[in-house]
Amino acid sequence: MIERQRHILDFTLSSLMRRKGKNGALLLVYTLVVFVLASVLFLTHALQREAALVLKDAPEIVVQRTLAGRYHPVPITWLSAIEEVNGVISARPRLWGYHYDPLLRANYTLSVPAENPPEPGTVDIGAGISRTRGAHPGDIIAFAGHDGKPRSFAVREVLAEESQLLTSDLILLCEKDYRDFSGIPGDLATDLALRVRNPKEFGTIAEKITRIYPDSRPILRSEILRTYDAVFGWRSGLLIVIFSAAALAFAIFAWDKATGLSAEERREIGILKAIGWETSDVMLMKFWEGTVISLTAFLLGVILAYAHVFFASFSLFSPVLKGWSTLYPAFRLTPYLDFGQISTLFFLTVVPYTVTTIVPSWRAAVIDPDQVMR
Amino acid sequence: MISVRDISKVFNAGRPNEFTALERVSLDLQLNESTVFKGPSGSGKTTLLGLIGCMSRPSSGRIFVGEREITSLPERFLTEIRRSTFGFVFQQFNLIRGISALENVMAPAYPTGEKFSLLRARALEKLEMLDLGGRADARVEQLSGGEAQRVAIARALINDPAVIIADEPTAHLDSRLAHEFIGIMCELKGRGTTVIVASHDPIVYQSALADRVVEMRDGRVINEGSAA
Repeated sequence: MIERQRHILDFTLSSLMRRKGKNGALLLVYTLVVFVLASVLFLTHALQREAALVLKDAPEIVVQRTLAGRYHPVPITWLSAIEEVNGVISARPRLWGYHYDPLLRANYTLSVPAENPPEPGTVDIGAGISRTRGAHPGDIIAFAGHDGKPRSFAVREVLAEESQLLTSDLILLCEKDYRDFSGIPGDLATDLALRVRNPKEFGTIAEKITRIYPDSRPILRSEILRTYDAVFGWRSGLLIVIFSAAALAFAIFAWDKATGLSAEERREIGILKAIGWETSDVMLMKFWEGTVISLTAFLLGVILAYAHVFFASFSLFSPVLKGWSTLYPAFRLTPYLDFGQISTLFFLTVVPYTVTTIVPSWRAAVIDPDQVMR
Repeated sequence: MISVRDISKVFNAGRPNEFTALERVSLDLQLNESTVFKGPSGSGKTTLLGLIGCMSRPSSGRIFVGEREITSLPERFLTEIRRSTFGFVFQQFNLIRGISALENVMAPAYPTGEKFSLLRARALEKLEMLDLGGRADARVEQLSGGEAQRVAIARALINDPAVIIADEPTAHLDSRLAHEFIGIMCELKGRGTTVIVASHDPIVYQSALADRVVEMRDGRVINEGSAA
């Protein structure tokens, strides 16, 4: 039985090799389809995962202030009233913001860490900034502050984190340096970070804060996560919808390939049946043919997509999937694969192809053996 | 013995292009005897060979191979009989292009699941027998007409069939190669293989190969008897 499978598989492989042009074109298109789909899946999952990593240590509630519906710094004096709200374990002011570097046309994120801030006059920088500015520990780098005057800092260390999305464009500095650089007064903070133990109380606490400070805007971590999921999910959905047209074209191509047996192929099947192959043997050959093409395209497509997303910074799709929020310092996603993803991809590509080719294969297999004698 | 009882074969039945290829043909073909069907194109020779060789079923009538009635057998059994009992040599040789002579010879035995080394050895033996041992790895496109014919014969012999069926085997051969073919068939006949040939080539039906000549026309047997 195994020998029979082996003989027919051997014969199938030599048949495929004999029609290099036709099968090569099919393999190319098929690989492209898998590559596009796999890239979208890998990218959205990796970005969602990065987002989850970013938010892993984020505070449960962030309190911002709005003025005329727009963001405004928060008075530090709010802290005492908010800390009094039941369920709030702690609250601390945070200082962070963005800085545009016109020299490299890059956006940086500046932040004052809660723990172990750099000494005044020194900064910790992300890998993206280190790369683009060519700055390493001990080097001096300078940025123009809010008043246009340059400030120089010595690089204390380059940040190495699990997620490059988190740290690639990050500059950490102490509170004094940050206030001097950004011009934010001493009695104001960017926002307030709250620690809350019981997730069931998030909503109630947010309501209480809004009652105390009607111009406040509490943001829950779960809401941010949900937004990320929705945005990435929507974007990948959009891409898949657009892409489904290509997938449909592929299905038609596969159908055409399988139904439009060339005269040579029909002749060959006729010969095989005439010399003693039965319908099931020809079906087995067609099955192996489909399997070889499917699996090769699947593996090639997945490997190429993996390299594209995780090593080539998903250069082909980043404008669609990253949207307006372009992070200028290039970052690489953390390589990540899971079984669910791969099986989804398998069912989206290999199964439709197989289903599409079953009927045509059967029709090819039932060619009358006496056809070659006519 | 192969017995054909009152068989007819109608193509495209019920359609405007309906065509009766055979009409109420009855014959007994003895094993260890060579039979040549002769007659003009369209006389029904090839259709009859196809029916005897289990390639298709008659529209009516019965065919017996030995004691076994084959017309009502399911495809699987029909294929099994075709594979084990008959070897076919076609008019156009019908070799599969792009693969070697050896692979072509082995192809009929692939579905049997025989061990590769044994199958290969047997295929080489058949090719050696027909003086083609040195051409085993050549692609069939590179073979001359006579070599291709012999590869087709080797392929027909791979499953050691009791009966060789050849349809217009000399149609594409010059006289020398046609005589060579007759020589090979006579040798096989001498080894106990039954040979059934359809041909309108006098080299075939007037040769020593033809123990019996059956003349056909318009889908009917019009004359049968021993070779002249």
